[in-house]
Amino acid sequence: MLELLGLSRRYGDVVALDELSFTVREGQMFGFVGPNGAGKTTTMRIVLGVLEPDRGEVRWRGRPVDADTRRRFGYMPEERGLYPKMRVRDQLEYFARLHGLSAADAGTSAAHWIGRLGVAERANDRVEALSLGNQQRVQLAAALVHNPEVLVLDEPFSGLDPVGVDVLADVLAGRAADGIPVIFSSHQLDLVERLCEAVAIINKGRLVAAGPVEELRATGGERRYQVEVADAATDWVSGLEGVTVLEKHDGRVVVAVDGDEQRVLDAARAAGRVTLFSAVQPTLTDLFRQAVQA
Amino acid sequence: MSRSRSDSTLDGIRLTARREWVERTRRDKSFLISTLVTLGILCAIIFLPKLFGSDEPKKFDVGLVGSASQPLGQALTAQGQAVDVRITTRQVASAAEAETAVRDGDLDLAVVDGRELVAKDEVDEQLNLLVQAASRAVRAQQTLQGAGVGPGEIQAALAPPPLPVRSLEPVDEDARSKRTIATVAVFILYGQLIGYCFTVAMGVVEEKSTRVVEVLLAAVRPVQLLAGKVVGIGLVGLFQLAIIGAVGLTVATASGAITLPPDIAGTIGWVLLWFLLGYAFYSSMFAVAGAIVSRQEELQNTATPLNLLMIASFFVAFSTSISGTDSTLAKVSTFLPPVAPLIMPTRIAGGDAAPWEIVVSLAIMVVSTVAVVLLAARLYEGAILRTGARVKLGDAWRSARRQPATGRA
Repeated sequence: MLELLGLSRRYGDVVALDELSFTVREGQMFGFVGPNGAGKTTTMRIVLGVLEPDRGEVRWRGRPVDADTRRRFGYMPEERGLYPKMRVRDQLEYFARLHGLSAADAGTSAAHWIGRLGVAERANDRVEALSLGNQQRVQLAAALVHNPEVLVLDEPFSGLDPVGVDVLADVLAGRAADGIPVIFSSHQLDLVERLCEAVAIINKGRLVAAGPVEELRATGGERRYQVEVADAATDWVSGLEGVTVLEKHDGRVVVAVDGDEQRVLDAARAAGRVTLFSAVQPTLTDLFRQAVQA
Repeated sequence: MSRSRSDSTLDGIRLTARREWVERTRRDKSFLISTLVTLGILCAIIFLPKLFGSDEPKKFDVGLVGSASQPLGQALTAQGQAVDVRITTRQVASAAEAETAVRDGDLDLAVVDGRELVAKDEVDEQLNLLVQAASRAVRAQQTLQGAGVGPGEIQAALAPPPLPVRSLEPVDEDARSKRTIATVAVFILYGQLIGYCFTVAMGVVEEKSTRVVEVLLAAVRPVQLLAGKVVGIGLVGLFQLAIIGAVGLTVATASGAITLPPDIAGTIGWVLLWFLLGYAFYSSMFAVAGAIVSRQEELQNTATPLNLLMIASFFVAFSTSISGTDSTLAKVSTFLPPVAPLIMPTRIAGGDAAPWEIVVSLAIMVVSTVAVVLLAARLYEGAILRTGARVKLGDAWRSARRQPATGRA
């Protein structure tokens, strides 16, 4: 289990993180979301030891993370970074060795990931000669090449085409299936919702919500219902206490209900023939908006 | 635990140093090119004096008009031989003919009736001195002869045996050539220093501007990255220096430009030692100059003060190598860390530095180098992840990790 415990960090007068805590289980795909400037990159940098927290600590498998442990973590920073003039294979072997692999293991692993990520024919080219998409693949390979125990990826999907997204999602799912905690940040919330078992939502350096997406839906969100009344205008819904209308079209309304939803059904039946009455699952985007606006 | 920690610290330094070595010597053509260019310049310095024949004795043609000029002609030839200047004299029929020959450049000088010298414009200084001396000798001889002094006495008066020289200190036959070798080495060393220090700075900016530094810092600590870069590039510099030194000495010896003194190894050893100290001193400061900017173009600004310091030090070393390594400036510079690496090899090779001076100079240099390296490591650490505007040194100092190094190592 990877635990972030009470992380705080300031830059001058700006509070970047304020007592941030959450945990990620082994084998879990974990989405890390929040508006721009919320503190996601700062958090990831602290987990990787690139940045030092003012307070708080990071624990992996119950023990505080030190430099030797961090060498077994894999990291893809938001600001992509590779040596432009270094050859792809040389570069990946170098990163693998920096993370503690032997020369032989580094060679084998670099070859594996070069093949797995589809850049095998560019292995002996300088990175600067590659397209941006291929550079991104090499960047991912650099995070994976030392077979890390923990994967931390800052916006790994940004800039990828749909095929690239699928390849990356597949690779990450594979790592999670091997029992590795995979944490990634993203603004593509539909993607996070599809891939992740659990998420953390942060805003202004504070944790707003964390846990499995299902739980967040059950606890955090207001309940929503979609109601359709045949052959009636939608004005039946106005004036109902504790009901907020979210959408309205062609005799169908989506409402957020505070309290007993049966009152809504009664009002609808009084207006006409009810052809649809169903609970609506809030999406992660809905949860995110609520959390950030609250 | 502390054992495995220091092992991994060294691993990080070794791997980053190795990358610098491989990328710069084997993957980058500019290493080969710069080595060849330096060798070309060195060979030119060795061979140019030969091509222009400045080793050859000077030659002058002097015309003699009238019989009164004859004795002067003989004396002149003799005077010339004494100082290795070849003077050819020939008889010219008239003053007018001599003037034409001088004007056409056939003659460098004409002596008319033993009382006047005719030159096109200015007379060569050495030739003038010789002619005047010969004239004085001839006049003196004629006067003495006229007074009835015998030939033996005239000889004794006008050509006394040379005065012997008694040296107060033993003459080191090799000191001169050792000093020359050390001075040339210092010039090359200066080129290497400035070149490789700049390479360090540019390497730091490259890692920062391409953001690869964040990937690296997830695996190694800033001080390892800095040390690996400085050591790796330093080894490349040393390797190039060794190639240049070996080829240069071989060519210079084979061509006869210099004769190697038997204990040249000591001189070369001092040159290398001071190169390493100077490189450590300067390169860590250049690394900071790189760490506080985000783009290569900005590096010019932050590296300028360091460049000026280096150039000033070089001029001090250069002027003392001309004006003498015994001067007050040279002695003071011995204890100034920025200048000492450029001046000490010459002073030591020439035997000008007293043993205590060498010891104190080395001690000051080592202590200040360690201080500069530690300071640079902290500033580097505080600045390397801060992109955007140029980082102020004070901010870099404050934002370096507050925990002691062992806290998170």
